[in-house]
Amino acid sequence: MSDTQPPLAARYRATPPDVSVWDPLLRLTHWSFPLLIPALWWTAENHKYALHKRLGLVLLGLLVFRLLWGFFGPETARFAQFVKGPKAVLAYLRGDRSAGPAVGHSPLGGWSTLVLLLAMLAQVSLGLFAGDPFDGATGPLNGLVGARLADTITELHETLFWAIAGLIGLHLAAICFYAAKGDDLLSPMVGGAIPPAEGVTGIGPTPWVRGVLACGLAAGLALWVAYGAPPIS
Amino acid sequence: MSRLPAPRLLLSAMLVCGLAACSGGDSAPTKEPPPIIKERQANFKAIGGAFKAVRGELESDAPDFALIAAKANDINARAQQIPNHFPALTSTEDDYDTEALPAIWKKPEEFKAAAAKLADESAKLATLAGGGDKEAVGAQAMAMGGACKGCHDQFRFDDEKK
Repeated sequence: MSDTQPPLAARYRATPPDVSVWDPLLRLTHWSFPLLIPALWWTAENHKYALHKRLGLVLLGLLVFRLLWGFFGPETARFAQFVKGPKAVLAYLRGDRSAGPAVGHSPLGGWSTLVLLLAMLAQVSLGLFAGDPFDGATGPLNGLVGARLADTITELHETLFWAIAGLIGLHLAAICFYAAKGDDLLSPMVGGAIPPAEGVTGIGPTPWVRGVLACGLAAGLALWVAYGAPPIS
Repeated sequence: MSRLPAPRLLLSAMLVCGLAACSGGDSAPTKEPPPIIKERQANFKAIGGAFKAVRGELESDAPDFALIAAKANDINARAQQIPNHFPALTSTEDDYDTEALPAIWKKPEEFKAAAAKLADESAKLATLAGGGDKEAVGAQAMAMGGACKGCHDQFRFDDEKK
């Protein structure tokens, strides 16, 4: 008995399991953004509005899912876990790593996430009302606003894209900055896990039932909007 | 769910971006459009802008009828230009970034009539705007919009109807 224990413990110490930090649904949602955003830009630039509208509605569904996941998802997906006050952000900026959670977004990264999500949501929402019914494609909710407002919204929709492109540039620059410091943020967002570390526990199992419910709700909302949000319009 | 080494990931990400950039270059505008295509597109854009201004005015409680009349006259002048803007070999089939369907050249009389309809409706709108009856002007603005739409339905490429 006593002579089998040390080797087992040693073996366990040698290969502790990776720590899970991002759940699969969060990662799938995340990686859909770098596919959808360039596609949305390209379809708009090339006047492929039928596809642009469809992709925009898919993005709406994904964003709604991500917002729901921010309340019902695993710990690292929740806004309550990663959206911190200015004190924590300043402490983190001064180099205090204990200012944020051990896994998930840092106090600064949390705000970056929130701003990116809200900017995309604003952009998609503007798109729903954009266009001119007498001149080409219109968003599914264009009929709810007048010609003047629709015109302003269309211009905002075109301008906000560049703000989002800037935010994405900042996001990529931050990832490169951390990579240069030896902090690899990319791999965990792909594989979902980080190497084991002393005292760091990851997220629990993915709550699949809640995941399916959130997906269903988000898809339902996007479909409802796609059909012009009856009976509102 | 295992970890992946970052260098390999970065490399593949760079590859994907590189490929995306290449494909973006390939699908960029096909041929440099002749000036006439740019001219007619600018003309239609101005018509669209003028019509939007008319509708915007009609949304307010006290529309500026002088402005509506001016915009209607602008649309009228531009509508008369339309038949001169479509020389042969400038349709969607000629590899230009244009929405001008070949139907324009297959049914030239109908296309001319469609342009004339816009000229008529915009002239009526300009006249009515002088009277200052918001309801009548609004109805005529929508009739003019019908002329836009009627022509688009027949002669303009629509991505959603493909």
